[in-house]
Amino acid sequence: MFHVAKATFIRNTRVMIRAYPWSFVIGHIFSGVYTVLFAFFAYHYVFAGQLDENFAHFTDSSDYLSYAILGGAFYAFAVSTLMNVSRSLITELREGTLEAVLLTPSLRRGYFLGNVAQQLMRTLFEFSVIVFVGALFGLTLSHTNVWSAVLVWILSTGAFFCQALVLGSLMLWFRDTYITQNTLFAVMAFVSGVTFPIPYLPEWLQPLGLIMPLAPALDAFRQCVIQGAPLHAVSPQLFHMAALSLVYLVIGVWGIRKMEKRVMESIFG
Amino acid sequence: MKQLGSLLLAEIIKEHRHSFHSKMIYFSLLVWPVINFVTAYYSFAPFRMGADSPLARFISYEQLPLFLLTGYLGYIFYWCLVQSSWQMSFERQAGTMEMIFISPVNRFAFLYGRSLSSLIEGVWLFFCFALLALFFVDGIQLSGWWAPPLAFLILLVSAIVWGGFLCVLFLFSRDASFLYTVLDEPMLIFSGVRLPPMAFPVWAKVISFCFPLTYALQLIRELLMEGASLQAMLPSMGLLAAVLLVLVTATVVLLRQAEKHMKKTGNMVMY
Repeated sequence: MFHVAKATFIRNTRVMIRAYPWSFVIGHIFSGVYTVLFAFFAYHYVFAGQLDENFAHFTDSSDYLSYAILGGAFYAFAVSTLMNVSRSLITELREGTLEAVLLTPSLRRGYFLGNVAQQLMRTLFEFSVIVFVGALFGLTLSHTNVWSAVLVWILSTGAFFCQALVLGSLMLWFRDTYITQNTLFAVMAFVSGVTFPIPYLPEWLQPLGLIMPLAPALDAFRQCVIQGAPLHAVSPQLFHMAALSLVYLVIGVWGIRKMEKRVMESIFG
Repeated sequence: MKQLGSLLLAEIIKEHRHSFHSKMIYFSLLVWPVINFVTAYYSFAPFRMGADSPLARFISYEQLPLFLLTGYLGYIFYWCLVQSSWQMSFERQAGTMEMIFISPVNRFAFLYGRSLSSLIEGVWLFFCFALLALFFVDGIQLSGWWAPPLAFLILLVSAIVWGGFLCVLFLFSRDASFLYTVLDEPMLIFSGVRLPPMAFPVWAKVISFCFPLTYALQLIRELLMEGASLQAMLPSMGLLAAVLLVLVTATVVLLRQAEKHMKKTGNMVMY
């Protein structure tokens, strides 16, 4: 399995460097930086630093800038992970290499592991740049519980990976990446508490946030960074994330298998 | 002139067939803009609202939904064109770019036909939504019965000119999706779609003046929210006209350069 993972990692890195130089990486960094800029402008120049009184009650903190900047950075990280993993198979299909991948006796687990490892390198870079820019615009990192934050970040990668498997199957089903992924991303940005706390939403919409791993992941990460919470303090969010991951993993693995078979029959059959 | 018209029509029909082959297109026409609009509205929830909110220095609290609605309507007009120009790279992938440039078709009919088609098809659904929503929000102050048609015309013309300019930019590179990111989201932040540009610091104001959408939105808000008279709007209109003139000139010059460049390097179909 690790041979396959290593080979996939090296191949994807070469593809990234040679064929698609930077466009996705720069795109994700920019979209994170824009969220930072919006929060900064709105907070300082339009609202003169005055917040709604419920905000502190909903978030246990009155640090809006850190709240919004971390939201933007983590959202960019989620989108990046979801995109890189879920698009892997359909990209093979488009580039004409899916047949070769399916014909080899390589384990699919290794293939996806290699993909995740490769994209982890990319997202880590993107995330660091956004957080660095955020720090220039008012993100406070002095209370951060570093180890808890790192662990939450790694666990979140796992959760997004499981969600990406489901997304990947849907993409193969619809033979489309653009509409499927962007619809999910738009809904995620709306219901997961990226730029505003979820309780501001109407009550009937709030459960939608519960099925997105981004919501508990972001909540836990914010607590570790803004309030310096230790890992056990965010265990409810971690359990929530683990349960969601399990459900997505089961559906995703089933979906990918089903879709592979369908693609084999409809294209190569 | 007749030939130009038929070329324009041909490009519109081609683009229509290209994008409406699947029902999924309605997601990008209505579902995304509506979700983005609602997300933008809720992004203001953490701030202090009400009559004594600092926001009142720029717009009244009651007019915030209208402010965002006009902002998003303008943005969707322009966004459709960014998207369509970005899809110009598909012509290359499909190998049809070469055919277009080998044929004696007028390049501007092709460029502006492409813009016009994607614009009309891209905005009609959200436009209906915006019209409906306008009935339910407070704070509308029309300059007259002619204000909505004039606002539409301003958006239409300025967006088509912007779209033509972008199409030419996308002719220069095979991996132009990067430009998509550089041009799309800054427009959302700096053009006054979600925040009033008057609130920005000087450096951000300078960036906002680079986007024609800034001028178009200012005019539209004067027409729909402030009830300004035509005479009062003349300076803003002159400014928008000047910006559009610069863009058209740049489009003409760059198109010639791009074609020359592609002929020289032979990368018209290389992807």
